[in-house]
Amino acid sequence: MHGWCGTILRVDLTRGRVTTEKLDPRVARAYIGARGFGIYYLRKEVDPRCDPFGPENKIIMAAGPLTGTAAPTGARYVVTTKSPLTGAITCSNSGGNFPAELKKSGHDAIIIEGRSEKPVYLWVNGGRAELRPAEHLWGRSTHQTEEALRRETDEKAKTAVIGPAGENRVLFAAIMNDRDRAAGRAGVGAVMGAKNLKGVAVRGAGEVALADPAAFKAANTRYREAFKAKTKDNPPPLRTHGTAITVVGTQAHGVFPTRNFQQGTFEGWEAIYGETLTRRFLVRAKPCFSCPIACGRVTRIPEGPFAGEGEGPEYETVYALGSNCGVDDLAALTKANYECNELGLDTISMGSTVACAMELYEKGLLTASEAGMPLRWGDGAALVRLVGMTARREGFGDILAEGSLRLAARFGRPELAMVAKGLDFAGYDPRGEQGMGLAYATSPIGGSHMRGDPAYFELLGVPTSVDPHTWSDKPPLVAKWQDLFCVIDAAGLCVFFSVRYLVEQNLMVKPVGITELLNGATGAGYTPEEIERAGERIFNAERLYLLAAGFSRRDDCLPPRITAEPMPSGPAQGLVCRLEEMLAPYYALRGWSPEGVPSEAKLRELGLL
Amino acid sequence: MKVQVRAFANLRGFAPSGDGEFELTLAEGATVADLIAALRIPAAVEAVVLVNGRRADRPTALAAGDAVTLFPPMEGG
Ligand code: SF4
Repeated sequence: MHGWCGTILRVDLTRGRVTTEKLDPRVARAYIGARGFGIYYLRKEVDPRCDPFGPENKIIMAAGPLTGTAAPTGARYVVTTKSPLTGAITCSNSGGNFPAELKKSGHDAIIIEGRSEKPVYLWVNGGRAELRPAEHLWGRSTHQTEEALRRETDEKAKTAVIGPAGENRVLFAAIMNDRDRAAGRAGVGAVMGAKNLKGVAVRGAGEVALADPAAFKAANTRYREAFKAKTKDNPPPLRTHGTAITVVGTQAHGVFPTRNFQQGTFEGWEAIYGETLTRRFLVRAKPCFSCPIACGRVTRIPEGPFAGEGEGPEYETVYALGSNCGVDDLAALTKANYECNELGLDTISMGSTVACAMELYEKGLLTASEAGMPLRWGDGAALVRLVGMTARREGFGDILAEGSLRLAARFGRPELAMVAKGLDFAGYDPRGEQGMGLAYATSPIGGSHMRGDPAYFELLGVPTSVDPHTWSDKPPLVAKWQDLFCVIDAAGLCVFFSVRYLVEQNLMVKPVGITELLNGATGAGYTPEEIERAGERIFNAERLYLLAAGFSRRDDCLPPRITAEPMPSGPAQGLVCRLEEMLAPYYALRGWSPEGVPSEAKLRELGLL
Repeated sequence: MKVQVRAFANLRGFAPSGDGEFELTLAEGATVADLIAALRIPAAVEAVVLVNGRRADRPTALAAGDAVTLFPPMEGG
């Protein structure tokens, strides 16, 4: 095979056995890769009702056909598992260099199953793979683990590891790769910890074979040139300032979540947004594999109580650990970000859970003695402490480690958790951005912005602008973009490049560039329509898994703060999210019943029956 | 009439003062297009324009005291 390696690595932790098997070419064609392979194997092999921490749950780490190639941003992989935070599917996406190295080792995916008696790590050296003891690494930070794995295997190995948070089954623990890149959402790291798998180290043995190198190169050059031409005099804001520049768009629209979504504007935004980060702490921009944008931030806090260095913060972190906790101290939130990276925590859910606790405290439902400290809005030092306590499940941290929904429910106010299906929202308040509300409510993993991000057209002007306050026009757009994101994730590409350069620049975003690159790499002869259909197939397959896990229409919902409490101030003042008005037409155009169940005809059309 | 302008990222470079935050005097009835022209932002430089937190197109008329935000299209967050 080309583009695809054609080989899956299967790791049975219970028996301590590693085997390989062939990738079925029909599965490859229909599901493309990465996120597509994740849901294909999850549906085939993991009981949707299983205990996420039990040995019967599996972790599927899968790359796409373009991962590890020279395609712009061919850097990504997706980790799919049943989430301990939500009980739903989660598929979390990350870049860096580990995914490309996985492909170069000759594998499209690693399926991790069972549970090891004792801590182990997996060492994949080209075509050879083995499990090695990792008791000596248990308790170590992600950075320490990465360094140790490289020392013990190969100095050029790339790694994906968990920190203490994953070991302690914090329900939103991340898998960290290449230091500070995170497959962050919904507890993939906790599942790895429950399996006693501390990390994976991979060393490639060759290059990804291409079906038609000349056609691939021609397409690759053309899309890179288009990027260069556009950015020659105007460097991409993501390179200059990182994703934290996005605060400008959300604050100006009044959808920058503040104090647990009580407001959509943050008075301290200027102290924490991208340009301030660049001025105060930026050391250099850091790209993922084969990426011309380089949105990653290597930063240093030169002095003060939070002095340190690391990577970040990204936009989502600036929202979650910043505005949403009322923190306008960039040093404190950056330090909290470093701690999350080293301990292996999702910054979004960490911040969202602290914000929820701060609101419970503000309302007098949670006392300082219960929390072990006062939880005042804006207390950066408390925030940094709480991150460590959560990862170690120390004191009140043990409660935070269960996430915002369980925390809010424990204190009698579950509706104060800003979640969809138990997963914390990203940094966009759907009251002033209607399409985002529909996207959160129908995302197969819960409150994520990366399952079809309407912020592009509602806030950021990509590819064009649509009024963020209207709702009747959103269902077809959200469905279209959800399917597109399936395609981008399945191909192994990064959304940030793809939405501007590899799809037609109108709201229908036909994936012509992605198709061209996929064909050059795989020789599959896809049409853009077939690729779009594959995206729809992946999205529907994820929906089927969700339904089989016990979710239904009533879980396609948002908290009452979003649907019934009008935004109190700012440009979105007076608005609520019109989710109910959007859901019925959305289901209908997806070919789903009024209960949100894909029809037989739709499933037959997609080959999912 | 006077409007308050904030320009971000590369668009800061078009601010008369060199600082991204400034007041601009325009003729009565001026539009967003007039503001773009007054700042000499070439057509090749993309700009998203918000007036008082709402998206504005080039023909949108401005009023005295409006708060105008200018930023480049962004690839995401
Ligand atoms: S745009 Fe950013 S996240 Fe995407 S591949 Fe490039 S550096 Fe990585």
